[in-house]
Amino acid sequence: MNKRISIALVLILVSCGLLCGQALSQTGVKKKRPLPYEYGRVIINNYPDKADLAPVVFEHWIHRSMFTCRVCHVDIGFAMKAGGTDIKAADNARGYYCGACHNGKMVADGKTVFQACSRKVNVEDEKRCVRCHSYGQKVASDFDFFQFSQPLPKERFGNGLDWEKSEELGLIKPASYLPGVSIQKNSLAVQKDFALNPKVEGMPNIIFSHKKHTVWNGCELCHPDIFMGVKRGTVKYSMVDISEGKSCGACHTTVAFPLTDCQRCHSKPVQP
Amino acid sequence: MVFKPKFFKGKFRATIITVLLFLGLAGVCALRASGGPQSSAAQADQAKESWRKEFDSICAKTQDAMTFSQEELTDLIRRCDALLPQIEKLDETRKKVYVGRLRMCRGLYAYVLDAKKKEKK
Amino acid sequence: MPTSSMQKRKRRNERGLLLLVLASLAFLLGNIASAQIYLPKPPPEPSEYGKVILDNYSTAGPGPVVFDHWLHRSKFTCRVCHVDVGFAMQAKATGISAKTNREGFHCGACHDGKRVFEGKTIFAACSDAANDKQCDRCHSLGKKGARKYEYRTFTAKFPKGIYGVNWEVAEKSGVIKPIDFVEGLSVRKAPMRSREDFAVKAGYSWVHPIGFSHEKHSIWNGCELCHPEIFPTAQKGTIRFSMFSNIEGRDCGACHGKVAFPLNNCQSCHPNGPLWAPGTLPIGQSRKVR
Repeated sequence: MNKRISIALVLILVSCGLLCGQALSQTGVKKKRPLPYEYGRVIINNYPDKADLAPVVFEHWIHRSMFTCRVCHVDIGFAMKAGGTDIKAADNARGYYCGACHNGKMVADGKTVFQACSRKVNVEDEKRCVRCHSYGQKVASDFDFFQFSQPLPKERFGNGLDWEKSEELGLIKPASYLPGVSIQKNSLAVQKDFALNPKVEGMPNIIFSHKKHTVWNGCELCHPDIFMGVKRGTVKYSMVDISEGKSCGACHTTVAFPLTDCQRCHSKPVQP
Repeated sequence: MVFKPKFFKGKFRATIITVLLFLGLAGVCALRASGGPQSSAAQADQAKESWRKEFDSICAKTQDAMTFSQEELTDLIRRCDALLPQIEKLDETRKKVYVGRLRMCRGLYAYVLDAKKKEKK
Repeated sequence: MPTSSMQKRKRRNERGLLLLVLASLAFLLGNIASAQIYLPKPPPEPSEYGKVILDNYSTAGPGPVVFDHWLHRSKFTCRVCHVDVGFAMQAKATGISAKTNREGFHCGACHDGKRVFEGKTIFAACSDAANDKQCDRCHSLGKKGARKYEYRTFTAKFPKGIYGVNWEVAEKSGVIKPIDFVEGLSVRKAPMRSREDFAVKAGYSWVHPIGFSHEKHSIWNGCELCHPEIFPTAQKGTIRFSMFSNIEGRDCGACHGKVAFPLNNCQSCHPNGPLWAPGTLPIGQSRKVR
């Protein structure tokens, strides 16, 4: 009898396992590629029951044309995962997080940046609220991606834009200092680029440009949160880990150029 | 199979245990699906602006981290650790922001110190 | 004479048996529910194979869209649509709408009313112009005679295999010349070294290893179609694949069983099957349309 019960329990557990496994297995399929204006979109919905507002839609493309990654992710302190920062309206109203710039006073590109989440809100403010709280709503944006991207050099995948070249040509000038928020620092010594050897024989070496990455990110953004290993070669990164969002995948799955663009990393000669 | 659990006696014990196992498995699946446990922050209090000066002073040096000696890095880490309780006394918003920023700043110094120690070996 | 302890044991035995039966039932249901079926289902008629019905937004308006793979795959490689344009490989997963088509994405990347192909202007998808409405050419579900090309006439001269058109032979013999680069859409990149073909050991000892042609697949798909989304590992043997995941439409099943040759075509992957195993499982030509 005990034997039967044990067998029965094992069978039940295995059935549960099969069902759970079935529900959770998401790999091995080709998902849609986000459209150029959708790439880098972050939906923030930490407090779905609070206030009568739709989840926030944050577009990376407009912000990254104006600021380096470091300003937002180090100086202001945004997390690198949707919902990870735990932004509240009160935080914004006090001038932190989104409110660090969206305070109704800062001027960018000759225009005053609208205030996010003021302390007192009345009916007329609704138009301002839905500029961010626009998920699922038909909200006309002040910035049109097509107009914005038209003069910029193109690349494939991601936003369809060559951000590097755009910066080189001076078409975009991302600021790396935000007064009142960023700490005045010395300029960073130029970091050396280096090659990483892929595990698979025959794949071109990865030329990692430390220089480029530090110009946009500083040091703290990656070290030690994303890259813990202190000695090169001690920690092995696999494409599986990267596609799950670890190491390089922290950026190069959702905001920076995606992993489908193999030759951007696996390029034997150093990219000029 | 030698399997003689005493607690299988009783009328519904087997059913109860099965149900518990079900729930446990469901819980594990749910946890996996949700991405694991999230950490949360702590309390808040009022503090003076001297903490801000100290914060700016410590974290302005991250760009030069690689040029510091091990002693200097250790001192910076010590200063970060000393500053943390002051920041944790701030209001909720500022605590959230500056705890995060201090963590990144301290983390970098610790990282560089670790690298230098391993280099020496 | 039955003692109370014997009665107790008898009751326990019965309960145990009942539990075992219920658990076996649960196990069976769990298997069926999670589609862990051993054999792949017979595919539909070749003319229906690869048909995708898209009805994310259009059911209320012009009606669901019917996309037939056979027409497009005779003219383009898989890469052009699934990498350059960026379609997903599951029905309705891309989220195509009239708006995205008019913006020049998805179908609108080619179906823009301006692009000239094979001497003809490609009709605009979801066109606004009043006299240019060719909606039913795509939104043709249930509408007879709406489509311009018909399977039998279109593929009449194509070489046939055991199941519909033999696309490999069609390409080799030059009957079809799929294009891999579309001006204004594709981006030419430094070519990567062609990967070798290799053998994949099957999970069961009695099943012959799979002969996988990396070269053929990379000619049609490039690298980006499969890597890293469908096959995230680059190192052989790191991830285990199985017929189960193929039948579910993952891994090899992302294409095979939906658009590329069906999974019943055992010998195409397992080329040296044992004598006692069938070359193919029933293809089911007479099966009713899905």
